[in-house]
Formats: sequence, structure tokens, C-alpha cells
Amino acid sequence: MQTKAARMASKLSFKEKLSRANSRGDFATFFMLIPAVIMLLVVSVYPFLWVFKYVCYDYNGITAYYTGFHNFERALSDTKFWMSVVHTFEYAALKIIFIIPLSLVMAVAVRQKIKGSELFRGIYFMPTIISAAVSSMVFGFIFASYNGILNAILRACGIISANINWLGDKNTAMWTVITVAIWGGFGNYLVYFMSGMSSISDDVYESAKIDGANGIQTFFRITIPMLSPMLKVILMLAITTAFKDYESILVLTQGGPFNRTQVMFLYIYQLVFGASGTSPQIGYGTVLSLIASLIVGIVTAIYLFVSRKLDDVM
Amino acid sequence: MSKNHDGAVYSKASKAARFLLFVFMTFIALLTLYPILYVVLGAFKENGELLAGGTNIFPKKWILDNFINAWQQADFATYTLNSIYLALGVMLLSLLSSSMAGYVFSRKKFRGKELLYGLFVAFMFINVGSITLRPLFELAIKLKMNTSLASVIFISAGGGQATYIFLVRGYMNTIPKELDEAAKIDGCTFFQTFYKIILPVLKPILATIALLSFRGGWNEYILPLVFTMTNAAKRPLTVGVTMLKNAGDGAAAWNIMFAGATISIVPILLIYIFTSKYFIAGLTAGAVKG
Repeated sequence: MQTKAARMASKLSFKEKLSRANSRGDFATFFMLIPAVIMLLVVSVYPFLWVFKYVCYDYNGITAYYTGFHNFERALSDTKFWMSVVHTFEYAALKIIFIIPLSLVMAVAVRQKIKGSELFRGIYFMPTIISAAVSSMVFGFIFASYNGILNAILRACGIISANINWLGDKNTAMWTVITVAIWGGFGNYLVYFMSGMSSISDDVYESAKIDGANGIQTFFRITIPMLSPMLKVILMLAITTAFKDYESILVLTQGGPFNRTQVMFLYIYQLVFGASGTSPQIGYGTVLSLIASLIVGIVTAIYLFVSRKLDDVM
Repeated sequence: MSKNHDGAVYSKASKAARFLLFVFMTFIALLTLYPILYVVLGAFKENGELLAGGTNIFPKKWILDNFINAWQQADFATYTLNSIYLALGVMLLSLLSSSMAGYVFSRKKFRGKELLYGLFVAFMFINVGSITLRPLFELAIKLKMNTSLASVIFISAGGGQATYIFLVRGYMNTIPKELDEAAKIDGCTFFQTFYKIILPVLKPILATIALLSFRGGWNEYILPLVFTMTNAAKRPLTVGVTMLKNAGDGAAAWNIMFAGATISIVPILLIYIFTSKYFIAGLTAGAVKG
């Protein structure tokens, strides 16, 4: 039967086939997908494939010279790059250690529905609405060494006697950058946590209350376990985002002082577009990009593996 | 929802706990608001006061000169127009691509659909980071589009569209298919069904996408920075204002930078204040489904 139908179909003239396809909406489907597909191909697929083109070349944006495996050898011995990898891990770890507990606690607090909790949520979310570049510039003013308002306040309170060069001192720069990242991002995770919590039924909390559980017990025995599937997704988002952050650091410190806040993707950005007066080193940048993406991929894979193992244990 | 709020009777201990919680939340809220208030109020200060520093958040003397200077002499009128153009462009392109693609992915069966959808998902995660801009920049030069904000719009919309497509698709999946079928029986073609029946139903999710993508375009920074490196007339606010910081003579022009930052922050904040529900709803839906 099927073969007969197929033969019938193949016997249809080209014109008939067209009109059938048209009435099914095949052409409409095709044209409706065109904008999305073109953008996907140009903006996502093409750059990814392009990266492989120059891995064996020294390319400054105008001319490319074949250099064999030189870029790979250089990458292995490039301490500036590997230090930037270390800084990326440092930045990501510290950011996540602070931002996840903070946003979780604030989400629980907002959920208590005390007076004005809607307003509080709106305020906490506000930094995510503003351009990270502009707010980083504003933090640059706040943390300014000589006339920054933070130093002025700390001096007025008697906490410090001399101005601290928050962004220019090797000991404080990373912490300052992380502070800005926490300010800019915790509202985002707070909203994620709130949406996760909205799926926990109120009955569960009611019965916990009847059984005499206090707020802290409820948090650790009910909220956290029931949130754990969501928590895993949020943590994964937080990890991948933190490893790719560089916009705010570019504005705050440009990787300085003495590369103390240099992270991988910022280093690559500066190589590829030429930081102040140097010529771009694109071929080398493509090799580092592949290494950096591989690092992010491995971290994500390890995270997924560990979180699945934890599931089996718990 | 929960019965233990507003109007319920609390014990003394619980009342105290709630008060402490309120104080704590207020404290965090003030820390969150502080940088925003600092820059907006600072924009009304005289440059001398800004450069001298001090602990005052309110200006000693309120002046409007900073805004006038920024607008007239520092090209902020141009930057603002560019930002509006960029944000609206990203918004319209995102709406166009995501509404149609989301609808097709939800309703239509065709060969290679799973593969194509998989590509969209995969490239949310496959990301070679900051180098992505280099091939796109070179492509734009080849097409002689590198001096136009249109290429910035295209790249920005392309980078954000996957999430929006998932949002539309997820929303479409909650709408009964009978609606499409009824339209088909009434003689609508596939596209007419979309245009006349589905689009009006999609309004809430499209509003969310409009807001998220507008914000995305308005706040775009590194992308327009690269494309307008040698073309100051096309810079949006984000690039224009941060460029002042790096300019040699700009280091002392704190007043212009404060005014510029305020011009960049306030419009998007106003939009947020009136539409925060859509913003937060969209983010939540995107997080759960994407």
C-alpha cells in the first residue's frame, strides 16, 4: 500500500507537488525560518568555524604567515596566559561563593512577604537592567583612590587613615572587581531562585510549621532539598557565566594592575583587537580561544559529573 | 498564597525576627541603590565638588550645566540617538526572528527539524568567547558594513535570539492546537494563521521579549566598541561615556561622565520601573525553559 502511495506521489507533476507543498505551508515554514537561521549561521556557526582557520598562522588582521605549530608552543610557555587562567578560576570561584548564598538568602527573605517585599525584589533586580559597562565606570568613581567616595566615607568613620587604591593595588583589585560583579548579578540569581521556590507548595511549609520547625530548620530541611534540581541548573548558569565575564573588568581595570585581574577572555580580546598601540595577534588568539573554551567545557563537564554523583549518594 | 502573612497574629519573637529581616533587607536595598543614586545625584554637582571628593551624596549646589554640556559639546545627543536606534533595531529584529521561528518549531513538522533545533541549543553553549567578534568584524569590513550600526544590530540580535525562540516555542506549546486547526478550516494559510490568529495570542510573551531585547541593545558595549573604534559618530551611549574615561583630557571631566552615565541609565530604569513584572516574568520563564 505504502509503495503504491509513494509511486502515486512520485507520479504527481512538479506543479502539483508545488501546490501541495504550498497548501501544507512548506514555503511559509521555509521563509519564516530564514531570519533566525541566517542569524544563527552568521553570528554563531561562522565565527566558530573561522577560529580553526588561523590556528597555524601569524595573522595581524592584514596579512597571515604560516608558522606551523608555533602558536601552540607559544601558548604552552605563555605565563601571562596561564596566570590569566588562574585568575579566571579565582574570579569565578569567589564570585560564585558569594553571589549564590547571597541571592538564595535574599530570595528566601523576599518570599517571607513582609511589608514591601515586592519593592525589595524590584530594587535587587535593578542592577541587571543597567549596562554593566556604565555601572562599572560608576564603580570606578566610587573606588577612586584620591577623590573616591568610598575612601572618603571610610576615612570619615575612622576605619582607614590613608586612601586605599582599590583598583590599582594588587592586593585589593581582584576583590574590588568581584564586588562589582556581585552587585551587578545577585538580583538575577535571586529571581531564578524565587521562580524555583514558587514551585514548592505552601502546604509543605505549613506542615513543617505545625511540626514545630523553626525558620532555619525549614530552610535547610525543606527549601534547600526541594530546590536542589533548580539549584543545579542555576549553579551551572553561574559557573558558565562567571568564566566568560570580562566586560566589567575591561572597564574597571583593563586587566591591571600588573595583570592582577587579567582573565582569559579579556587577555584574548586584547590580543585580537590590539590593546593600546600593539598590533593584533589573531592567529595566536584563536589558539588561546580554543584552549579557553576547552577549559570552560571541562569545568562544566566536571560539574555535571559531580552533581550527578551527588544525586546518587543523596 | 501562604496564610502566615498580613493579618495573621504573630508571637513577640516572630515579630522581632520579621523586623530584623526588614532591617536587613533595607540595608541590602540601600547598598544596591547607592551607586545608582550616587551617579544620578552626582550629575547635578559642580565639577569642582566632584573632583574634590568628600562624603556628600547630595550636591552642595544643584546645577544642570553638566547635562547641557554633555548634550551640546560632548556629542551625547548623537550617542543617545544611536542608542535608541540600536536598541529599537535589536528589539524589532529579535521579535521578527523569534516569533516566527518559535511558532514554526512548536507547530510544524519538517525534515531536519530536530537537527536545526539542536543547532540552536548547541550554540547557546558552544561559545569561543571574545574572539567571536573578530571574524564578524572582518566580515562586516568585507561587506562594507563596518561603519554601520546595522551590523551591530544584526550581531546583537543574533546572539540573543536563541533564548527568545525558546520563550516563544514554550509559550506556543501551552496554546491548544485546536486554535490553529479552526483557523485552517476557516481557510487561513499557514502564514495567515500565524499573522492573524497566533500573533495576538503571543502578545504577553512578545512584550517580554521586546523589553529584554531592547535592554540588550541599549546596554550592548564591547560589540559597538569594536565597530565604532574609529567612528565616533556612530557610538552609542555606553561606548561614548566610557571612552571619555580613557581619553587623556577626559580624566578631569567627571561632570560630563556623570551626566553621560545618567543619560544612559535613567531611560532604561524608567522603562523598568513601569514594566518590572514583564522583565522578571521573562527572565524566570527563560531560566526554567532555556
